Amino acid sequence: MIRFENVNKLYGDYPALADINAEVARGEVVVVCGPSGSGKSTLIRTVNRLEEIRSGAILFEGRNVHAKMSSAELNKLRSRIGFVFQSFNLFPHLSALDNIILSPHRVNGLGRAAARDRAMALLDRVGLANRAHAFPAQLSGGQQQRVAIARALAMEPPAMLFDEPTSALDPEMVGEVLAVIRGLAQDGMTMMCVTHEMSFARDVADRVWFMDAGRILETGTPDAFFGAPQHPRAQRFLSDLRSR
Amino acid sequence: MLQGAISIVSENWLLLLVGQYPNGPLGGIAATLMLSVLGIALAFPLSVLIALARISRWPLLRAPATALVYVVRGVPLLMIIFWVYFLFPLLLGANVPGFATMVCTLVIYEGAFLSEVVRAGIQALPAGQMDAARALGHSYPRAMRYIILPQALYNMLPAILSQFISTIKETTLGYVINVPELTFAANQINNRLLTKPFEVFLILALTYYVVCYSLSAATTWLERRIATRRAGPAPLAVMEAAG
Repeated sequence: MIRFENVNKLYGDYPALADINAEVARGEVVVVCGPSGSGKSTLIRTVNRLEEIRSGAILFEGRNVHAKMSSAELNKLRSRIGFVFQSFNLFPHLSALDNIILSPHRVNGLGRAAARDRAMALLDRVGLANRAHAFPAQLSGGQQQRVAIARALAMEPPAMLFDEPTSALDPEMVGEVLAVIRGLAQDGMTMMCVTHEMSFARDVADRVWFMDAGRILETGTPDAFFGAPQHPRAQRFLSDLRSR
Repeated sequence: MLQGAISIVSENWLLLLVGQYPNGPLGGIAATLMLSVLGIALAFPLSVLIALARISRWPLLRAPATALVYVVRGVPLLMIIFWVYFLFPLLLGANVPGFATMVCTLVIYEGAFLSEVVRAGIQALPAGQMDAARALGHSYPRAMRYIILPQALYNMLPAILSQFISTIKETTLGYVINVPELTFAANQINNRLLTKPFEVFLILALTYYVVCYSLSAATTWLERRIATRRAGPAPLAVMEAAG
């Protein structure tokens, strides 16, 4: 469903992404991990072209996202790829409900009443139906991130991307957000998730990609990766993570 | 002296308030405020367009907008008044009344200055806002309209109001092309009395001060209100979080 073909990207002379060849199958949950600066976030941001690439192709449902296309086509593609940010990026001038209504209504032309019904159902699903009229500043970090997930789901995307969805949260709020993502995985959503939550990766991921210096060094099932990592860099990363 | 000032006001209050209206053109404070309100109201939409052009990807939009801003910032307002005063009638082939000349000047001048305020407001928003909008599939114009501009303009309200205050003071320069605003009215009184310039111009200064000070106070109040709203958790949310 999402396929990276010989993807390269440079920041100046530094290879942000180098020779990425990988694929996320439909219904698969891939957790991308690795040390900071390894290119995880850059990789996930290239999927909906928030970042450009230097060469190669990224196919989403068989279509190259980085091909030359009109902005209308690109917007259409983007609306089919849910994206959740580390810093939530809710629109602070809109209530939780209006954050979710805005895009189905304005981008997909869904009627206001229908968009509102869909938004309320999604708020209910992430456990925040009672906070529908709260503004982002009145919500906790965990609540904001759950609204952000609902906002992305409102476009009914066939795939979701998560860029460190819990890294900006206080520890006691991580669980509520991961529970929502876990629920999505159980429903068969195709997902790529950049995260440092290793227990979450173990539970939810079908496969783990380990990245360092812009390359995917190792891929495997969570059991194989966490149990017996092959690459020395991955071994060092995991032992660092455990000794924290 | 105080008595002198009071008697000047009591004899000329109508002239200070509305000029020679209804027997002549509207003047006095009424004209000053109308000039300022019209100037800012017309300059504002223009300034949003200039700001959008200034941050556009296309040099064809960016270059003229940038040039306009730099030229206006680098030329005294009085020069722009003269340019409009002498040039517009030539270009239009018709007489342009002083009031209209002054409104045009203010729109050009304030449009350029306000556009820098608007641009700063847009660029001060976190980049994540545009990212989130684009990731959801919004086009650039739609993201601007529904997500970026509403936030930026709300944040910029105090700066826009303070620009309005400077506009009120700038209308005094309309005097040089005989626009019958407040300063013009005061000067008429002074020319008639001849011996009381200190009192007359004290009244003039006080009048401007009162108008501008009340607006400054409004700006401060607005700034506080915005700061409170941004500070987040409303009492209700705090209670729920605690409970």
